[in-house]
Amino acid sequence: MNWKRLSILTLRSLSGISQNLGSFCTRRNGGAMNVFNRDMKKRQKQRVAALKDGHQYDYLRNEVGSRVADRVYDIARTFPLALDIGGGKSHIAEHLNKDVVQSLVLTDVSQQNLCRQTEIPTRCVVVDEEFLPFKENTFDLVHFNRSILRLTLGLHLSVLKPDGVFIGAMVGGETLYELRCSLQLAESEREGGFSAHISPFTAVTDLGNLLGGAGFSMLTVDVDEVQVHYPGMMEVMTDLQGMGESNCAWNRRSLLHRDTMLAAAAVYREMYGNQDGSVPATFEILYMIGWKPHESQAKPVKRGSATVSFGDLSKISRPTNAGRS
Amino acid sequence: MSGSNVWSRTRERLRIFPELLAQCADEAAVYGKCVAATTTGKQELKKDLCVKEFEALKTCFTNAVSTISKNRSLRCDM
Repeated sequence: MNWKRLSILTLRSLSGISQNLGSFCTRRNGGAMNVFNRDMKKRQKQRVAALKDGHQYDYLRNEVGSRVADRVYDIARTFPLALDIGGGKSHIAEHLNKDVVQSLVLTDVSQQNLCRQTEIPTRCVVVDEEFLPFKENTFDLVHFNRSILRLTLGLHLSVLKPDGVFIGAMVGGETLYELRCSLQLAESEREGGFSAHISPFTAVTDLGNLLGGAGFSMLTVDVDEVQVHYPGMMEVMTDLQGMGESNCAWNRRSLLHRDTMLAAAAVYREMYGNQDGSVPATFEILYMIGWKPHESQAKPVKRGSATVSFGDLSKISRPTNAGRS
Repeated sequence: MSGSNVWSRTRERLRIFPELLAQCADEAAVYGKCVAATTTGKQELKKDLCVKEFEALKTCFTNAVSTISKNRSLRCDM
């Protein structure tokens, strides 16, 4: 039996929690914050892409993709060239049309996941998200629909044209809090301590700082909560695995004891279960819009240049429409 | 890799896990309540705080496993 096959089977046997065969994974020392094992994530995505019925796990990505597409429509511009990072099966592009985006470059880490054709002329490229092989100032629109991994915002900024826009969606702090708490409580009670089974998420408060720090201007961040109901905890974990979102953080524990799994399922149902026996899983989706700086963009005016006073606010009868549309 | 091996057996066991848990819903609820009580009350969650309830749940679960495997083997004989 060869080691590679063994490692894949080991990964499969523990729903939702992936196992680390440390000797084959080397840590990368580059990068500011090395939280995730990207090789592992790539393998998870490739395995998911090879599933015959993989499309049944796409519901969350489709929903988020349609909401991101809404935001694209809200911007009254036509984008000659757009880039979809981690687009995979183009969950965003299928909701867009040729009037808004004239041509699209779709990228993903895994070959099999890539390229579902939509009405927009698309070029599909296999690309590692942290090393975008595009020249600077290429794209008018960059969108990003990645569930869990961290962003490499400086890179996204550089491939944008000045006055280009970056629209992204990612899962935020409160996601899967039910699963996290159930596992934490069960593991504490059964084993006396707990380890991280859910990878860390970005808080919405940090997102503004991250985007601003990277150099984007005119930021918009908003939060959406999607709650999905499942028959039980095992189904939640199976679906997460099917979506390709198994844990791949370096500090993850290799295994989850049977007893702990049983205990966690019981706690989940008791603490968060609905009347009809199903359990909810919350996905907190953070949407962000940022623009690459350009002279045409509205800038804050100089201090002391005000011509009206805030005290006159009550005298205004109709709201004025300011800023870009 | 064909035939029954440890991975296929593990996966099969995980697959029927929800079915087994459904049979032990009462014990699961009792255990769940015991653990959940620590989140609201002054009692801190320590190891084996709810061990009695968990043992009851585990026993029910193990019985459910043997019942299901007995039913499955009976069906195969027919």
